[in-house]
Formats: sequence, C-alpha cells, structure tokens
Amino acid sequence: MIELWYALMALMLTVYVVLDGRNFGAGVLHLFVAKTPAERRQVVAAIGPLWSWHEVWLVSFGGVLFVAFPRLLAASFSGYYLALFLILWCFVLRGMALEVGGHVNDRMWHSFWDVVFAVASVLLAILFGVALGDLARGVPVDLNGNFSMAFFTNFGVRGNVGLLDWYTVSMGVVVLVFLTAHGATYLTLKTEGPVHDRCAIIARRLWIIMPALFAVISLETLVVRPALAWEMAGNPVAWLGILVFLAGAIAVFTGLRGRLERRAFIGSGTMIVGLLATGAATIFPVILYSTLAPENSLTAYNTAASLSSLELALVWWPFAFGLTCAYFWFISRLYTGKVKVTEDTEGSY
Amino acid sequence: MNSAFDDPAFWHRLQFAFTVTYHYLFPQLTMGLAWFLVYWKWRALRTGDERYNAAVRFWARIFGLNFGIGVVTGIPMEFQFGTNWAAFSRYSGGVIGQTLAMEGMFAFFLESAFIGALIWGEKRLGPRNHFIAAIGVALGSWLSGYFILVTNAFMQHPVGYAITPDGSLGLTDISAFLSNHWAWIQFAHNQSAALVTGSFAITALGAFYRLRGSHLDQASLYLRCGTAVGLAASLLVAFPTGDQQAKMVARHQPVALAAMEGRFHGGSMADISVLGQPNVKMQRLDNPIQIPGGLSFLANGTFESNVHGLDEFPESDWPDNIELLYYAFHLMVTLGMLFIGLMALANLQRLRGKLETSAWLLWPLMLAFPFPYIANTLGWMTTELGRQPWLIYGLFRTSEGYSRVVSNGDVIFTLIGFCGLYFVLGLLFLYLVGREIYHGPHEEAHD
Repeated sequence: MIELWYALMALMLTVYVVLDGRNFGAGVLHLFVAKTPAERRQVVAAIGPLWSWHEVWLVSFGGVLFVAFPRLLAASFSGYYLALFLILWCFVLRGMALEVGGHVNDRMWHSFWDVVFAVASVLLAILFGVALGDLARGVPVDLNGNFSMAFFTNFGVRGNVGLLDWYTVSMGVVVLVFLTAHGATYLTLKTEGPVHDRCAIIARRLWIIMPALFAVISLETLVVRPALAWEMAGNPVAWLGILVFLAGAIAVFTGLRGRLERRAFIGSGTMIVGLLATGAATIFPVILYSTLAPENSLTAYNTAASLSSLELALVWWPFAFGLTCAYFWFISRLYTGKVKVTEDTEGSY
Repeated sequence: MNSAFDDPAFWHRLQFAFTVTYHYLFPQLTMGLAWFLVYWKWRALRTGDERYNAAVRFWARIFGLNFGIGVVTGIPMEFQFGTNWAAFSRYSGGVIGQTLAMEGMFAFFLESAFIGALIWGEKRLGPRNHFIAAIGVALGSWLSGYFILVTNAFMQHPVGYAITPDGSLGLTDISAFLSNHWAWIQFAHNQSAALVTGSFAITALGAFYRLRGSHLDQASLYLRCGTAVGLAASLLVAFPTGDQQAKMVARHQPVALAAMEGRFHGGSMADISVLGQPNVKMQRLDNPIQIPGGLSFLANGTFESNVHGLDEFPESDWPDNIELLYYAFHLMVTLGMLFIGLMALANLQRLRGKLETSAWLLWPLMLAFPFPYIANTLGWMTTELGRQPWLIYGLFRTSEGYSRVVSNGDVIFTLIGFCGLYFVLGLLFLYLVGREIYHGPHEEAHD
C-alpha cells in the first residue's frame, strides 16, 4: 500500500513537471524567441489558457503528499521554509503575469509582465532543480525527523549542508536547460511563423548540449552519494526508467531531424518521465536522506499515514483521476492546432 | 518580557489568518457569481435574448480576475499547512489531507479546465457547450468550498477518525467524515453568504450604471436579478442556516457560544445581548441591552432552557480572545439584519416598478457591496476564534500545532513579504476590475 502511494505521488509529480515544465521553458525563452509584442502574446497564447490547469497538478501532488506521507510533508515544508516561500511568491508573480499581462493593450504593460514572466520562470526552474539536487544529496535530518537549513553553508555536500552548494546549483542549471529545451520543443510544435523558426533552432542547439550535461550531473551524483549507483544497479524499475529515458531521447533526436514536431515533443516529455521514474525508484524507500546520520533518514515507511487512511484514500483517488483524464481529453480537443500571431490581443491570451 | 510577540504561535496564527482572510475575498465572489452565470447562460439559450449573453460575457471577465487572484493566493494556503503548521500536519494529515487532496482533484481540475473555455471560448464552443462550461465552473467552485468546509468541520467537530498507535490521527470512516453534519450546516450558511456577496456586487454595479445613465439595459437586468437573489440569500443566511449554525455551536461548543454572547455565568432563561461590552477582567457584560430568554430560545428552542456560561468551564478551555469573538459575532449579525432590510426595501420598490428611478435607494445599494465581504470575514472570525484554544476541537491545541523548526524571525519576514505582495495584487486587481467596469459590458462575443 505504501509502495503504491509512493508510485502515485511520483506519477502526479511527473505529470506536473511534463505539463508545467514546458511553461517554464516557454517563460525562459520568450524574450529571445519573440521579438515583437504580438509574438510575445503568441507565446503566452500557446501556454496561457491552461497554466492554472497545469498548476493544479502541483497542488494535487501536494494534497497526495499530505494524505499519504504527512510526516514527510511536515518535515520538508517546515525545513525548506524560506525556500518554499520564495517558490510560492514566484508562482504568484508568474500566475499574475500570465493572467493580467494581456489585459491592457499597452507596450510598457506588456514589457513589464513579459520580464516578470521570464524572471519568475528562470527562478522556478532553477529552484526546482535545486530541490531535486537536495533529494539526491540529502538534508540534515536530525534524530526527531526534523531539519532546518540555511540557504548556504560552506557549499560542501556533506554534514551540515545548506540549500545551495556546488552540486545542487549545478543540478539547478541542468534542470533549467532541460526544461528550456522541453519548452522550445513545445513551442516549435505549437506556434508558426518566426517564433516557430527561432524555437526550432534553439531546441536543436539545446538538445545537442544536453547529453554532456547529463553525463556531468550523473558523475557529480556519483561523487555526492556513491551508494545510489548500487541502489540503481539492483533496481529493475530504475533500469526500466532508463530505457524509457533513452527511448524518449531517440524520439527527440529523430523528431528534430525529420521535423516531426509532435514526435520530438512527446520524446522530450518521455525523457522527463524516464528520468523522474529512475530517480524515484533509485532512492526508494528513502525520500529525504540524512546527511548527518543515515538512520535519521525519512523513508516512505516511517512517514506514511495509517493503513486505514491510505486504503480509504484509494477509494476515491482512481475515480478523481479518471475524471481528470476526461477533462484533459475535453480541453486538449479545445486547444488543438497552432497559435498564430494576431494583432488584436487585448484581453485574450 | 513575555508578550504575545514572543509566542511563535502568535506569528504563525497571524500569518495564516491574514493570508486566508485575504484569499477568501476572491472565492466568495466567484462562488456567489457562478450560478448567476449559469442562470443567464440558460436564459440566453432559452430565449435567444442577447442581453443575457452580454451579461455573461461581462461578469465572466470579472469572475476570471477573481479566479486568477483566488488561485495565486490559494496555493500559499495549502503550503502553509506544511510550512507553518508542521506539528498539526504530522498529527492529522491522514485525515485532513484527504479533503485537501480531493479539493485539488475533484474541484480545481474541473474549475480550471472550464474557466478558460467560459471566458474566451464562447465562439469556439457554441452556446450549448458554453453553457456546459459555465456549469463546470460553478460546480467546481462550489465543490471546492465543500471540501474546505469538510476540512474545517473536522477541526470544529472531529468525526470518523481513530488515534493510531504512533499517536497521530487516522481516517476510519470516510462517509462519516464527508457527511459530518457540521460541514453540511456550515456549507449551507457559508454558500448563502457567498450568494449575498455575489448578489450585492451585481446589484451595486446595476445601481452604478443606472445612476450614471450608461448600459441601461444591463443595469436593469443586474438590478432585477441582484435584488431578487439578494433578498433570498440574505434571508437564508439568517434562517434556517444561521439559526442552525448557532444551535450546532450551542450543542458542540457551548464554551464558544458563551464567549460569543459574553455570557460569563450559566443558568436557565438566558438573555440574548443586543448591545453591551464584554468585560473579561470583571467577568460581566457592561451596559447590556438584553432580550430576556432570547438566547435560551435561539440555542435550544425554549425560553426556560439552560445555557452554559463561561464559569462552568475551566479557563484553559476558554477562547483566547473573547472580546474579538464577541464583537465579530455581533457585528456579523447586525450586518446580516441590515442586508435583509435593505434588500426588502429594494424588492418592494422593484415590485412597484420604481426601483430604477429611486436614486435615494440606488445610492445605498451601490455603496453596500463591501459590507457582505466584511460580514463574511466576521463570520469566519467567529468560527475560528470560537474554535480556540483548540486546533482540532477537544483533541489538539493550537499551541501544539506550529512548526518548531521555524523561527519567529522567519515568520515575520514572510508575513511582511505577504503584506507587500498582496498590497500590490490588490492594487492590480482594483485597477483591472475598474477598467472592466469603465469599459462596461460588450455586445459582441470574443473570438
């Protein structure tokens, strides 16, 4: 039961990253690929109507974390206190930029919100990367299962670590580039005209440097937490995740070469799925590894809610998930096709 | 020095209270408007009258702005359970996490899937699907309210749980948990109050356009629908929902009722205080004007019955801010009575066909729209202050619930951050809504 909820939680986080990751990517890119206000509105229109729907995946992931692993939520949210509020405020700003950026037809109004959108997206992508890095590296969990961290300490990766160190920062950069490539691939699929052409070039360049970045971050992970390599080697689900990841990479590669935009985008989504599946399977059952003493680590087993709570949650969850898939079918039918550049963008996405 | 400012619980409570009060300004309007949009869309489908479509188009934009700010201010609420109330989350996550997760999966997905379609999709969807989008948004927003109220009801009156071997709470009976009668009564009371906010806003805008002499067709539609629903909703808030809510508090939280009424000494034939100031130090109500036996009647249905006073409970179980609780409750009731009076007068004039020419009445109707927001806030203050000193009534105290690893300085820092950010959000919201009102309802559908 606990394993199942761990998998469901990982699934919801993965769906969120695939869906909203492209919005981060688009946010990072749009100042570079869209040169005129109309083109910027085109980029926003390609992601706009559904940003809140994507963000609900994060909220629902939080809900599932709350119900299934309350002790994990309690320790990690209070331990990451300031970092989480930074993330929250970035979310508020990004949401406002998308929501009100198109409401007033004025150059300065547009420019202001475009920059807010870009800065919030960059920060969010990096902070998510840092969070991922923290999961791999571990945090200073004490005997009572709590931790509290400074933003940075000595930038080392052992003992009394901070939020930022050389490893988590480099993970932040890798995730930023990865999500930007994901977003560029999405915009190539979703737009036409000059924005499309620029995105296609950027997507190709970013995907070329990704293998090198993956190699570097894998090596760094080996140095930071060598035990993970053994965990992964003996875990069939992790191997499956790697296969999925490689299949996605092949789809991206062939999709970009053959100008099969849909295939390339599905490929980059598949890569995210593979990567997160590998990571989730490898660390299991430890979720927050303690850099102070491994026996303090928070695992799926010592943070889960009672069995009856988990069983009862499983009564409604499949039903809710089914409904969610139905909405997804409805809205993806509604927003098919490419987004054009239009002159009159007042009030619309 | 040992003041409230040194107590971490004080800062955690202040931040949560501030952010949730601010947040709820927006959902109460969306929940109040949602069924107006459904009704107008339905009338447009039935009659083909374009006025209804123009009204939906206009109010859907106002709805969208409220929805947007509701979303961005709502996400911090969910996070703060973990960041600020870690001990509480650890203790009760297996139960209240259920409804918070359900809210995301059943309500938010529904609402956010259809909101874009409602605002921008009129031409693309066609009238029938646009109507369905309006229903989807309305259902989503009310379901979200329901799940939050089930969560709150568990904190007010816990049911369907068991204490697990490790000392935390586990859910054992999901149907008892979801059908908690506290939740249903509070849901009825709260949703009627949201309808009051929505109908007062619609009435106010109708009065504004009428007084300015612009958009007259729309103005008369808003005045007609706003005042009709406004009266019905104001009455529903008081009776039966408010009455039932008070009886429920009397039954399950007698100490809260005693504090709400400034009743320091128990006994039969309890008076209801219309006016007066609670004097906690001297344990009496100063300068009271009371209706003999009124409280006994309201709480239990007979004038002679016994109503508990604060002196019958240990002081450690008293709500920790009796004065604020007392005034919040009494101001809410007073405002509720004024709403009924104002809306009754408006309906009287409407039925006589004189509402639109009665400038003396249109002015107060226009200026009245902030007061339902105040009344809703006071109502929630009554509920939440009345629950103190408990986080989960009878099980878990507020003073045990906050995050031990978070320092006061951290909370003060984020609280100031929220003040600044929300001030800017508020300015932005007022500017954008003001613009919509200035431009007024459009006759044409958007692409």
